Amino acid sequence: MLNIKRPTSTTVLYTFSTRAPQETFTALIANYSFLLARIAAGFLVAILCLIVYRTSWPVSDDTIPVPWLEEFILSSPLGQFATLLIISLPQICRFLLCAATTWLIFRKGYTEESLLVIRGLGVQTSTSSPSYLWTSSTRFIPTSSIQDIFIHEAFKGFEVRYYLTIVVDGENDVVVVFPNILPRREILENVWRGARSCLYGLKS
Amino acid sequence: MPYNIAMVSDFFYPQPGGVESHIYQLSTKLIDRGHRVVVITHAYDNPKRSGIRYLTNRLKVYHLPHWVVYRSTTFPTVFSSFPILRQIFIREQIEIVHGHASLSNLCHEGILHARTMSLHTVFTDHSLFGFSDAASIMANKLLKFSMSDVDHVICVSHTCKENTTLRASLNPLAVSVIPNAVVPSSFQPLQPHEFKLSHHASDKGALLPPPPDPSHPVGPGDPITIIVISRLFYNKGTDLLISALPLLLERHENLRFIIAGSGPKAIDMEQTLDALPQQLVYTASGQSRVVLLGSIRHEEVRDVMVRGHLLLSTSLTEAFGTVLVEAASCGLMVVATRVGGVPEVLPSNMTVFVLPEVEDVVRGVTEAVGVLTSKAVRRDKFHDLVKNMYSWADIARRTERVYDLITGSSSAPDNEGFYDEEWMHYGQPAQPHSFALMDRLKRYFGCGIWAGKLFVIVVVIDYLIYCVLEMVYPREKIDVCKPWPAVARKRFEGEEEQSVNGTLERYGTVKQKHRRRKADEGAVNGFNDEG
Repeated sequence: MLNIKRPTSTTVLYTFSTRAPQETFTALIANYSFLLARIAAGFLVAILCLIVYRTSWPVSDDTIPVPWLEEFILSSPLGQFATLLIISLPQICRFLLCAATTWLIFRKGYTEESLLVIRGLGVQTSTSSPSYLWTSSTRFIPTSSIQDIFIHEAFKGFEVRYYLTIVVDGENDVVVVFPNILPRREILENVWRGARSCLYGLKS
Repeated sequence: MPYNIAMVSDFFYPQPGGVESHIYQLSTKLIDRGHRVVVITHAYDNPKRSGIRYLTNRLKVYHLPHWVVYRSTTFPTVFSSFPILRQIFIREQIEIVHGHASLSNLCHEGILHARTMSLHTVFTDHSLFGFSDAASIMANKLLKFSMSDVDHVICVSHTCKENTTLRASLNPLAVSVIPNAVVPSSFQPLQPHEFKLSHHASDKGALLPPPPDPSHPVGPGDPITIIVISRLFYNKGTDLLISALPLLLERHENLRFIIAGSGPKAIDMEQTLDALPQQLVYTASGQSRVVLLGSIRHEEVRDVMVRGHLLLSTSLTEAFGTVLVEAASCGLMVVATRVGGVPEVLPSNMTVFVLPEVEDVVRGVTEAVGVLTSKAVRRDKFHDLVKNMYSWADIARRTERVYDLITGSSSAPDNEGFYDEEWMHYGQPAQPHSFALMDRLKRYFGCGIWAGKLFVIVVVIDYLIYCVLEMVYPREKIDVCKPWPAVARKRFEGEEEQSVNGTLERYGTVKQKHRRRKADEGAVNGFNDEG
């Protein structure tokens, strides 16, 4: 869905996200329960690592910094589940399980792409990263090197899609805005009109 | 009623050729009549054409990318382009799919898928085929498959219609004949001012014989230039030309030849010329009597044609012979072999027909030279005659009539007057063409004992793929293209020539005509009020 922010008359930010809108009660509940599940999975991986660490390099009880906390963690339901996993799974499976869970925890479930237009400066396109671990990739194009902004069609896979694109001075390839989401034509037309009117101060 | 039409063919620009220019000209004129036309063809490598392009005249071209398997080999299946064709048909809201050229794989695929999607289909055949050799038998079987469910077939000449009807076992009533045309303004005879120019600036084309002065008739003994424009292939009769050339050079001292075109027979041609004695091939002043130009571009054809008096065509098979019409439009006398659709193309006072034999070709050329020198024919009148015979706007009008027929809608007002009682319902199927899968399968099953069953399987698979595609890429998710914004039509130069004939009304789109008529009425009323 498209989200437009217009803090001043010369700046406009178009954000397009595949995330479902967080407005209904059920959507909020689903969102928070998903977050809780992630935290739990994170703890599980941490406990697994702790048990493996303790069994690999055993130490005497008085060198453990907070013994009662460790006791509590291992006796909690999560800790018992972790111990069960340690016993039942071979080492390679445990490693794979940890890696996969970590990857899933830090993965973003949606893509967010945006176009920021500032009159007199230029435009900035950005695409969110697939994971929480690194930042989104952005590209700034100054007004002086923007030759044109237009909407065109192209074959993509088994489909024919519309795309909004910026022609940059001195580059062979055009810069596609919203390259992963490729919104529908009506939305692109709105963005195109808004971006042009903001960038060049045109009435449209 | 305006339609959304998709022209599907493997042959389109930038590749030069007759089918290509036919599709382009027809589409342009159909757009002028108020229809929306897109062309679907495959991607070309050199010059690179891929993706979606707009040509001038609002024509949109889809160059389908190759699904390259290995080193530019494409996947030779029947269904591979279905997903993308379906997307295009939906987003352009296509109602009629018009395939061109029977050797084009994409065209047959497009027709099959269009029928699966319950769209109307038309097919235009541009070529003649034999019945006897293995390749023809295969091609004919495929044609039969593709044609057994097509709504209407258009052929470029009556001979072509006969051929296609036999090859594909069609109902002759569902086959129409609509010829090719030429753009008369690009094939004009040499104008007097051009003649003066060409004599002053003799640096270009110094090797070629100078163009004849159109205002002076040919006297006996004057040099006569014969033009040959054809690709040098076996089926274009190059062997016949090679055999006839020495005899002609020997018999007529004043003959010169300009041969344009290339092909596998070019080497044979050069060898024959080299083997001839010097005094035959060169004039007394040392000029070569036979000039081989190699392949030339289509826009250069006219400049070559106006340098000659005669066009010689020795083709062994020809569905229509556009080059003959172009030559006549340039004011050339035509000597052509009586094969295929050639006799239908031009009236007999412009042409000398010969049999495809060496002696007869020589006889024909001799006869034509005699006609030229005896001034029995007015070459300067040819252009105007051809202009009235062939026009793309007229072709588009007749093609639109076919579209009206298959969709069962009433024809445009300018299209009605041409068909009286007898022709009113010509070509309409006895019972309406059913889109139901069962009826389609029955039609395919009748194709042959084994082939029928095979075709039925293919059609059923195609239908299943269609169902899957409807689920994977739902219709609602496909963006519909915006129509080209309406433009106020200006009067261009090309239109003037039509208005000279007093037929401008006919070529306008329905809406424009309506508007124009209203304006006229308004003007008349205004006059009445004043009076």
